[in-house]
Amino acid sequence: MYGIILFTVLVSTYLMVIAKRMPALIRGFRYQSFCLFVFTWVIASGHRQPDLFVVAGLLFVLKVSLIPYLLYQIIKKIRVSEDLGLFINPQLSLVWALVFTYLSWVFSVSLLISHETVLTSMLAIAFFIVLAGLFLMITRMSALAQIIGLLVMENGLFLLASTVSGGMPFFVEIAIFFDVFVSVVIMGLFVHRINKLFTHIDVNKLSRLKG
Amino acid sequence: MEIFLILGMPLLLAISSLSIRKQRVFGIVNSIGHLAVLLAGINLFKSIITKGSAKAFLGFIYLDFLSVFFIFVTSIIAFAVSLYSIGYIRKDVAQGVISEKKAQVYYLFFNLFCFSMFVVPAVDNLGMLWVAVEMTTLISAFLVGFYNSKESVEAAWKYIIICSVGIIFALLGTILFSYAFSISGLSKSLNWSDIAPVAHILDKDILKVAFIFILVGYGTKAGLAPMHTWLPDAHSQAVAPISALLSGVLLKMAVYAILRFGMIIIKSVGFSYFAHLMILFGIISLAISSGFILVQKDLKRLLAYSSIEHIGIISIGFGLGSPLAIAGALLHIFNHAVTKSFMFFGAGNIVSVYKKHNMNTIRGVIRAMPFTGIMVLLGMFALTGFPPFSIFISEIMILTAAFTNGSYAIAALLLFFLSLIFGAFIYHFGKMLFGKLPKGMVVSAEPLSKRSAFLFLLFLICVLGIVLPFIKKDLLWFAQRLLQG
Repeated sequence: MYGIILFTVLVSTYLMVIAKRMPALIRGFRYQSFCLFVFTWVIASGHRQPDLFVVAGLLFVLKVSLIPYLLYQIIKKIRVSEDLGLFINPQLSLVWALVFTYLSWVFSVSLLISHETVLTSMLAIAFFIVLAGLFLMITRMSALAQIIGLLVMENGLFLLASTVSGGMPFFVEIAIFFDVFVSVVIMGLFVHRINKLFTHIDVNKLSRLKG
Repeated sequence: MEIFLILGMPLLLAISSLSIRKQRVFGIVNSIGHLAVLLAGINLFKSIITKGSAKAFLGFIYLDFLSVFFIFVTSIIAFAVSLYSIGYIRKDVAQGVISEKKAQVYYLFFNLFCFSMFVVPAVDNLGMLWVAVEMTTLISAFLVGFYNSKESVEAAWKYIIICSVGIIFALLGTILFSYAFSISGLSKSLNWSDIAPVAHILDKDILKVAFIFILVGYGTKAGLAPMHTWLPDAHSQAVAPISALLSGVLLKMAVYAILRFGMIIIKSVGFSYFAHLMILFGIISLAISSGFILVQKDLKRLLAYSSIEHIGIISIGFGLGSPLAIAGALLHIFNHAVTKSFMFFGAGNIVSVYKKHNMNTIRGVIRAMPFTGIMVLLGMFALTGFPPFSIFISEIMILTAAFTNGSYAIAALLLFFLSLIFGAFIYHFGKMLFGKLPKGMVVSAEPLSKRSAFLFLLFLICVLGIVLPFIKKDLLWFAQRLLQG
């Protein structure tokens, strides 16, 4: 069961890495978050922990519904090109992603003391998602893609926390969700401002400050 | 308990900033509020020194010497900034740079920012520590992008993105710490006060990896090179009083977080691992910042790079690790906070009169604004570590510690970069402060609120050298205790 869910998480991340346009990227993020939601739900019903159900519910409300909705709204409002502005084309990005997958596997094998396959692969996938998020942030020029990259990294950490340490303490988890949501709202505001002042959201062209 | 006043007052002021329309009135109310916070901070400092540590609010808040020290520094700078803000915001409103409503927004975010910075050292839970540090970024981003110009919005965007990514790594490190704690067979917890006593039984390899993530993550926020790239942009574009807060206190909050994890690492892995990393990042920060300081043209960026330099000195101090060095580093945190805020106030005054940042075109500051000119001259000597000012004392403590430890290479590098930076400062400020009064410029005086902010900080800068011999023993004792957790 865990295997299937983790596999879908992995696939959704690959989908994001090869996405060329903004809506595809957001859709990928939605799939990924949905998989994490199912994952948490399964754990919650397995252990019968009521607070994990709350975490799963929050995940669904915020990351599957509200944040993608907000991002779609921003795209609609600013009406700039939906291109992500790729520094590295999708094929090459996929190659990189595969390399990252291998590296995070090696890293998690060396980090863990017990060599359970499920735990190791969970850890590897979590690290991979973090790396993929970072990769998205670095190689995409659109400011919105950077927001999504950040969210992807955060998803990776969520997976990491729920696998290796059995989740963060409940109120910390809630606080982090709140924090992520607030940061998306604030970054969205700044994307608006950038678009207003510069008439584009290409962060590669933000280069007035130097030295 | 004083901690409730310290945390509650900024929130209360934030709410009341929305209801009091007149920024003139509110500025004064704000300063009185922050004066109360400062007094509470001093009281808290005293009571924790005698008690050792305290918990409050259902174990949510944990205070020991380290946390009250940071709260104390924050309350001092917050009070000085609230004083300076009165005159600064009033002038901006009078000149029509910002509207009355925008001034309200300024005070709102200023107080929220202060609140988030008081929360960082007060929380016990390492996860909440992360949330609080991220909160400081999100709130202060508005103050960096406050003027809504192209440059400031760009700076705010870079700030928010780079710091958020950096801090994600810190969360990764935090999760690994909690993993190390959970496999040790103890109950699940992220509370520092639970983890620290059992640090020696935790898995060393995981902690080592985790600490690298912590150092990179919080190091980004602290402005350690090479993760410092957001810092000069944000500090140079923020509203002048906020630059003082960013540089004086915010960077130290990240240092605080590193120290918290560092104390666990020292207990578990041993001191040398922590020391090597801190000294490495410290030296890199010094080297990079000294290069940029030499060739800098922008006044506020110069001060921002100088902050990177001082964070480097602080981390070298903690890395050296003898009680003298730790005491020096703690003192340096205080001294740098006070002196750098002082200099940012001066820079704010200069920029608001000359309307430009470029040091090559600013001339005759002492003629044009005598009070600010003299203050900046004094501040420049204080910042570069000239006796009798306080930074000289903390730097000499760290240097002495380096020599007595036998780390001659580190001491030599430190001295080399310090003298380089000293030369650069004399060169830049000498050109700017002296010289003829520019044509068409009238000699201007500063309002009382600004002057009192300067004098308050100058008092702190000067007085430390006199008081220090009396409290040195206590300080060394605290440093000793800090090392042992």
